[in-house]
Amino acid sequence: MSSHKNPAARNLFFVIIFAIVIFILGADLDPYNQGQLAVVSMLLIGVLSVTLLTGTSGQISLGQGALMAVGGYASALTILNLGLSMWLALAIAIIVSAMAGLLLGFAAARLTGPYLAGTTLVLALALPSLANRFESVFGGDVGLNVDFGNPPSWLISAFGEIGYEQWQLYATVPLTCLALLATANILSSRTGRMWRAIRDNESAASLMGVNVSTNKIFTFVVSSGFAGLSGALYGLRGIVGPSVYPISLSLLLLTGAILGGLRSIAGALIGSALVVFLPDLIEWATRPLALSEQIGNYLPGLIGGVLLLLTVILNPGGIANVLHHHKNK
Amino acid sequence: MLEIRNVVASYGSVVALKDISFTAEIGKITTVIGANGAGKSTLLRLISGLEVATSGAIHWQGESLLGKSPESIVRMGVAHVPEGHAVIAPLTVAENIEMGALFRARSNKDDVKLAIGEVYELFPRLEERKNQLAGTLSGGERQMLAISRALVSRPSLLLLDEPSLGLAPLVVEQIIETIKALCISTGLTVLLVEQNANTALSVADHGVLLSIGSVVADQPAPLMRADSALRSAYLGY
Amino acid sequence: MNTLITTLFLGTTRGAVFALVALGLVLVWRGAGIVNFAQMGQAMFSTYVASTLIIKGYGYWFAFLIALAVGAILGAIVDLAVMRPLTRRSHAGVLASDSMRATVPVIASLGILGVLQSLAGMIWAAEERGFPTPVSDVAVKPFGKTAPFTKFDLFIIVVVALTLVVTTLFFKKTGMGLAMRATALNPEVARLSGIRISRVRTLSWAISGVASSLAGLLITPSANLSPNTLDLILIVGFTAAVVGGLDSLPGSVVGGFILGLLIAVINVYVSPDDVFLALLVFLLLVLILKPGGLFASKKVRNV
Ligand SMILES: Nc1ncnc2c1ncn2[C@@H]1O[C@H](COP(=O)(O)OP(=O)(O)OP(=O)(O)O)[C@@H](O)[C@H]1O
Ligand SMILES: [Mg+2]
Repeated sequence: MSSHKNPAARNLFFVIIFAIVIFILGADLDPYNQGQLAVVSMLLIGVLSVTLLTGTSGQISLGQGALMAVGGYASALTILNLGLSMWLALAIAIIVSAMAGLLLGFAAARLTGPYLAGTTLVLALALPSLANRFESVFGGDVGLNVDFGNPPSWLISAFGEIGYEQWQLYATVPLTCLALLATANILSSRTGRMWRAIRDNESAASLMGVNVSTNKIFTFVVSSGFAGLSGALYGLRGIVGPSVYPISLSLLLLTGAILGGLRSIAGALIGSALVVFLPDLIEWATRPLALSEQIGNYLPGLIGGVLLLLTVILNPGGIANVLHHHKNK
Repeated sequence: MLEIRNVVASYGSVVALKDISFTAEIGKITTVIGANGAGKSTLLRLISGLEVATSGAIHWQGESLLGKSPESIVRMGVAHVPEGHAVIAPLTVAENIEMGALFRARSNKDDVKLAIGEVYELFPRLEERKNQLAGTLSGGERQMLAISRALVSRPSLLLLDEPSLGLAPLVVEQIIETIKALCISTGLTVLLVEQNANTALSVADHGVLLSIGSVVADQPAPLMRADSALRSAYLGY
Repeated sequence: MNTLITTLFLGTTRGAVFALVALGLVLVWRGAGIVNFAQMGQAMFSTYVASTLIIKGYGYWFAFLIALAVGAILGAIVDLAVMRPLTRRSHAGVLASDSMRATVPVIASLGILGVLQSLAGMIWAAEERGFPTPVSDVAVKPFGKTAPFTKFDLFIIVVVALTLVVTTLFFKKTGMGLAMRATALNPEVARLSGIRISRVRTLSWAISGVASSLAGLLITPSANLSPNTLDLILIVGFTAAVVGGLDSLPGSVVGGFILGLLIAVINVYVSPDDVFLALLVFLLLVLILKPGGLFASKKVRNV
C-alpha cells in the first residue's frame, strides 16, 4: 500500500475522513447529542495529551484537569479583557498552558511514577484556590462567563440554520483534527521514538544519546499545550470556573485514555467517546429497571471504575489493542 | 542426588543455558566452573526457583524442583547463597541470621536456637558483631553472614555462587575449609560455582565445566585439575 | 499567645492523624512498591460501616473494632484482587517497562477509589453524616480555666501514640515484623530465606488498611462523613510521607506532625483557602531540595 511509504499523507487522509464523518453526523443529531459529540471532540484533545504523556513517554499526571483550567482561564481572560477573537484566545491558551507545562516539566523530570502522580494531584487541588485568592481577576467560585459566539455567516449559508451545540461541534472539530494530526506525526517522528525509548528503559535511552530530562520536559510542554486547548474549548461552552475543572476531570481523561488504549490514537478516540457517552448509555440501559436516583447517580462512577480495573488487569492495551489483534488475524 | 536433565533457559532472546545435564552426589562438593557469562549463576537461580527454565527437569532427592517457588524450595532443604555477598545491609547481623530460620522458627524452636549457636561457633567474628548493621561488615564477614543465613535453614543442599568474589585468598580458604568440614560432618551436598577454578577444583570432589551455556566437561575434580588442555582451552591458564 | 497555643495543639492532634495516614502509605510503598491512592477511600468505607453500626445502636467501641477489621480486610482484598494479578502480569506488553510498572498501579488504585466512592454513595447516600466521639469533644476545664484542647484531642494523641509504639514493637521484636522488613528491603534474599513474600505483602496491605481506617475514625468527627471527604486527607498524608522520605516509617510519622503544624499555622494565620497552595509549595521545595525526604542520609535516592 502506498500510504505506508508516506505516513503523513495517510494521517491526513484519515483525519479528513474523521472530520467529514463528524460534520455529516453532527448535522442530523439532536442538540443534546450534538453537544455531547462536541464534548467528545474537546476531551479527545485532552485524552491525546495523556496518550502523549503517559502512553508514549511513560510519565503520569493527575493534574491534566488543572492544565485544562489554565487553558480555560487564559482564553477567557483574553476574550474578556483584551477583546480578542475566540481563535486568537485559543492560540494564547495553548501558549500559556504550554508554559505552565514547562514549569511543571522541570519539577516532573526529576520525579517518577507515584511521586509524579502525587505531586500533580496536589497541583490539581491547589490551582483552583488561586481562583479565590485573586477573585477580582479569576471570578472566584463562580468563574468567568464565555461562549463560542455565533457561527459565521458563510457557515450558515453552507449548512443552513446552525444551533449553538452544532456550532460548538463545528468550531471544535477542526482543532481536534489538528491535534490528531499533530499527535500522529509526533508518534511517527524521531521525537516519538525517543519518548518511547525513555518510557521503555530510561538508562538505555540515555546511553543511546537521548537527552532524557530535556525530552521529558518537552513531553510535558506538548502535552500541556494539548490539555490547555482542550480546557479552553471545554470552558467556552459557558463558564470557566473551579467547578468546571474538578479533580475528577483529570481522572476522566486518564480513564478515557486507559479504556480506549493508552498507546494509540484510535484508543484515544474510542476512550473519549466512551467516557462521554457511558453515563447516557447506562441511563438508557437501566431505565427499564427503574433504579433509585441514589443508585443511578453513582452507577457510571462504579462501572467506570470497574472497567478501569478490568482493563489494567486483563487487557492493559485497552479496546484499541483488542481491535488491532482482530484486524491482524 | 541432584539431577539436572536437559535444562534450557533463556532471558528473552538470550539463551543462557542450552541443554544442560549432570548430577551431583550427596555429601560431595561439586563445582561448576566457567568463564564470565557461561551461565553458572543462571543454573543456581534455576535450582533455587528464582528463574524459570524453558524446558528440562531438575530433581533433588527424587523430588522435582522446577516450577516451585523459592520459598517452597528452601523448605525442601535447598539453600542458595546468591552472587555478591547477599545480605540485607540495613538489618543487624543477628537479624540477617534469624531471617534464614524464620520459616521454621515456630515448628522447630529449639533446633533454630541450636543452628544459630552453631553458625556463631563456625564464624565467631559474626557473634562479636551480632548487633552491628550488616552493611558495616567487611566483604569477608558479609560472605560469612550470607552463608550463615543459608546454614540456619539446615539445608541438605547448599548452592554457593562465587563465595570468593572480592575476598583475600586467606579468607576464601577459611570459608571453603569450613564448608568442606560441614560436608564431611553433616553429609551436606554442595554445588559450588567459582571463577577461581584452581581453588574450587582443589576442594571439590567433582567438576563441571560450563562454556557459553553448555557442559563441556564433567569429571572428577582431580582429573579436571590435571587436564591442562582443558584448562588452556576454556579457562585460559 | 493563646491563639498560638491553640494552634499548636490543633496542629499536633491533626498531625497525629496525618502521621497515621502517612504510615499507611509508607507501609504499602515499602512492602509492595505501590503508592495506594485508594487508601483513604478504604478508610471512608470502613468509617461508614462504623457509622452505620452506631446508628443501629451498637456501641462506639464495637463499631470502632469492626471498622478496623473492615479496613484490614479491604486492604487485603485490594492486594489479592487487584495488585497481585496486576504485578503477576507485569512482564506482558504495556507493562513491560519500569516506568509503566510504576504508573499502572497508581491508575489501578484510582480505579479502586472510584469503585469504593461510588459504592459508598449507592449504599449510604450522598448526604453528609456526623460521626460521634467516644469522649467529650468540648474543651477540658481544669481548675476552672479553659484549656486549649478537648478530651477527644487527648484521646487522639493517646491512640496514635499507642499505635506507633505497637507498630514499632511489632517491627523490631516479632518474626513477622522482621519478615516484613526483609521483604521491603530485599525481596530476593527474603524469598531465598523462605519468607513467603506475597503473603507478607498482603499483610502490609492489611496493616496499612488498619492504620488508615483508624485515621478515618479519628478525623471524621471534625470533618463530616461523605464519600469524598477523606480525599484531601490522603493528599496531606502523601505530602507527609514524601517529607519523611516515603520509605521511612519514623520519617512518615514526623512528616505527619510537621504537616499538621504547618496546616494549622496557615489555617489560623494566613487563610484556610491557601492550605493546598502552601502544601504544593512545600512539597515541591522538599522534592527539589531534599528529594529523599527531610531525614535522608547521604544516600542519593531516585524519586
Ligand atoms: N537478567 C538477565 N537478563 C538478560 N540476560 C541475562 C540476565 N542474567 C543473565 N543474563 C545473560 O545470561 C548469560 C549467563 O549469565 P550468568 O549470570 O548465568 O553467567 P555467569 O556464568 O554466572 O557469569 P559470571 O561468572 O560473570 O557471574 C549471560 O550472557 C548474561 O548476559
Ligand atoms: Mg555469575
